[in-house]
Amino acid sequence: MNLDKFNDPEIVKKIALSIEQEASKIPKTVKIMHICGTHENSIVRFGLRDLLPQNINLIAGPGCPVCVTSSRDIDAIIDLALKENVKILTFGDMLKVPGSRLSFSKAKSMGADIQMIYSIFDAIEIAKDTNKPCIFFACGFETTAAPTAAALLEINLPNNFFIYSVHKYTPNGVYALLKSGKISMDGLILPGHASTISGLKAYERFVNEFSIPSVAAGFEAVDVMLAVLMIIKQINKKEAKIENSYKRVIRYEGNKKALEFLDRVFYLTDALWRGLGEIPESGYELKDEYERMDAKKQFSINYSDSYIEHQKGCRCSDVILGNIIPTECPLFAKRCTPADPIGPCMVSDEGTCKNWFDGGYGEI
Amino acid sequence: MKSEKITLDHGSGGKLTLKLIEEVFKAEHSLDAAILSEIAFTTDSHSIKPLFFKGGDIGKLAISGTVNDLLCVGAKPLYISSAFIIESGFEIEQLKRIADSMKKEAEDANVKIVCGDTKVVENGKCDGVYINTSGIGKIIRAIDGSDIKDGDKVIVSGYIGDHGFAILNERENLGIDAELKSDVANLTDLILPIIESDLKIKIMRDPTRGGLAMCLNELCYSKNFGFEIEESSIPVREEVKVISEILGIEPYYSANEGKMVIVVDKDDAEETLSMLRNNPKGKNAAIIGEVKSELEGKVVLKTAFGSKRILRMPISDKMPRIC
Repeated sequence: MNLDKFNDPEIVKKIALSIEQEASKIPKTVKIMHICGTHENSIVRFGLRDLLPQNINLIAGPGCPVCVTSSRDIDAIIDLALKENVKILTFGDMLKVPGSRLSFSKAKSMGADIQMIYSIFDAIEIAKDTNKPCIFFACGFETTAAPTAAALLEINLPNNFFIYSVHKYTPNGVYALLKSGKISMDGLILPGHASTISGLKAYERFVNEFSIPSVAAGFEAVDVMLAVLMIIKQINKKEAKIENSYKRVIRYEGNKKALEFLDRVFYLTDALWRGLGEIPESGYELKDEYERMDAKKQFSINYSDSYIEHQKGCRCSDVILGNIIPTECPLFAKRCTPADPIGPCMVSDEGTCKNWFDGGYGEI
Repeated sequence: MKSEKITLDHGSGGKLTLKLIEEVFKAEHSLDAAILSEIAFTTDSHSIKPLFFKGGDIGKLAISGTVNDLLCVGAKPLYISSAFIIESGFEIEQLKRIADSMKKEAEDANVKIVCGDTKVVENGKCDGVYINTSGIGKIIRAIDGSDIKDGDKVIVSGYIGDHGFAILNERENLGIDAELKSDVANLTDLILPIIESDLKIKIMRDPTRGGLAMCLNELCYSKNFGFEIEESSIPVREEVKVISEILGIEPYYSANEGKMVIVVDKDDAEETLSMLRNNPKGKNAAIIGEVKSELEGKVVLKTAFGSKRILRMPISDKMPRIC
């Protein structure tokens, strides 16, 4: 597919003009939240906030998969890797996320066998080349949980291959946060990647229970701007419904095959979200029939009660909830930088703080 | 330094490499080669995985990298030394391929390999072969960035990002695009005529590790000027755009091994561009932006939509996003 038209400056400028006209009819500041780290990356990369009127506040929610991975899990796996003869395989984003004491990257420099991979399929190939137990630290939302499930179902996994799942289910996580009143918004941009799996129907209850205008969006400039426009139009019409501006990728019912795979392999359980506490039925845990490859059951994993989700002064949990913007955190770009991140939001290219730092917010 | 141990990021060519140079080696990090009266002198070490890749190999990389560093400061490359660190068990046939490739590239760049050294280390102590090369060139005119001013134009000599993504694609078996190859090449025939001309070239640098983003940031690092770059003017190959989207790594952070960034007086920009474009190695050259004193050490990227953002110096090797 030719994506050029989705980045056509003339189209983007026309949408910006329409947004301005619609926004001028709203006598208050509108808070539109997205819940996908890649959306934040696109917003910064294209400088889209520059193009919005002052009363349209586009903020990032809990959409970065590594940002919501608890220190408790990072600490436990690092301890295992330092004590036992195991190899840990995980995504590049995950390597630099600080745990309570160490990141995977720092543990590696202390001798732990930790390797970056691009997908679970790379991890399986690496496991085939060694007798050492290989543990895939499986993080990410449904977009990455689905390939994990597919690998378990479709590949004859080597006996030395194990999975430690910290996969999380976006809709239940965000729903619980809305219900608790921890996050609030006037409009929601539905995630582009995760919704390809979960579908838009997973978000119907958001509209029904909280009356939030919701629009699914892709990642090009036109996609995001169009979603903003559609949300503001709904607000002006006093409507709250789900619309799909990303029909080229997302279907209402999601990816049925992927959902079936997820359902066969995982069950949803209460899960720790970093800085947000335990959220009901938001974590993908391996079902009993996959006990053989469940690292949580096959290894002696010690969870410390004294894990630290955020260091003193770090406001990542408020950033994730959209309560503050990164530049309001006292550590932002001072003690906390991508070279030496204090909080998880400063690590990944999906992290809000990292994106704001890279884009030079407040510096131009 | 906050980090107590060397990590791979210290060798990525990004900000941590710069910190190492400044804080440990206590060296001034300014030009790619030293200008010593009438000669220029440079040195570089080469470690790459895989050793042979689409478009080149470590031997071609070693010669072209050194040649290009000499050209950057306005020198005509003349002599090169090459020192090999070879892992025991390495196939001599492969070593011969590397040596032949170095010889061919040296001939093409019109330089002579005049001395060298060989060390063999135990198996497992290095990734096959590491090569160090040093080079000497004759200064035609010293290009040291001393007279940069507002309005000077920034030119890049062709498509950016090819080398980094080609290597990543092969090393990690991404299998994304079979056609993408490294741009590794010596730029003698492209750049020497520009050095020998009377065009007002202010500074040049090859955007290798850390890519265009690192190169532009290094050029204005701690200086009283910055760059405003038009994003839509930066030449990027379609295949590179696709890989960039998939991995979530912008092409500006991907390494190049056959490109030059040239800052030139605005009055000579079009003529410089035309000279570059007349050579096959520079046919996709483009003016991508200009010098602005008010930006003071920053590289600002102007998007096609009229918005602006900072193009940062990379901290370390960019990691692909999870989704």
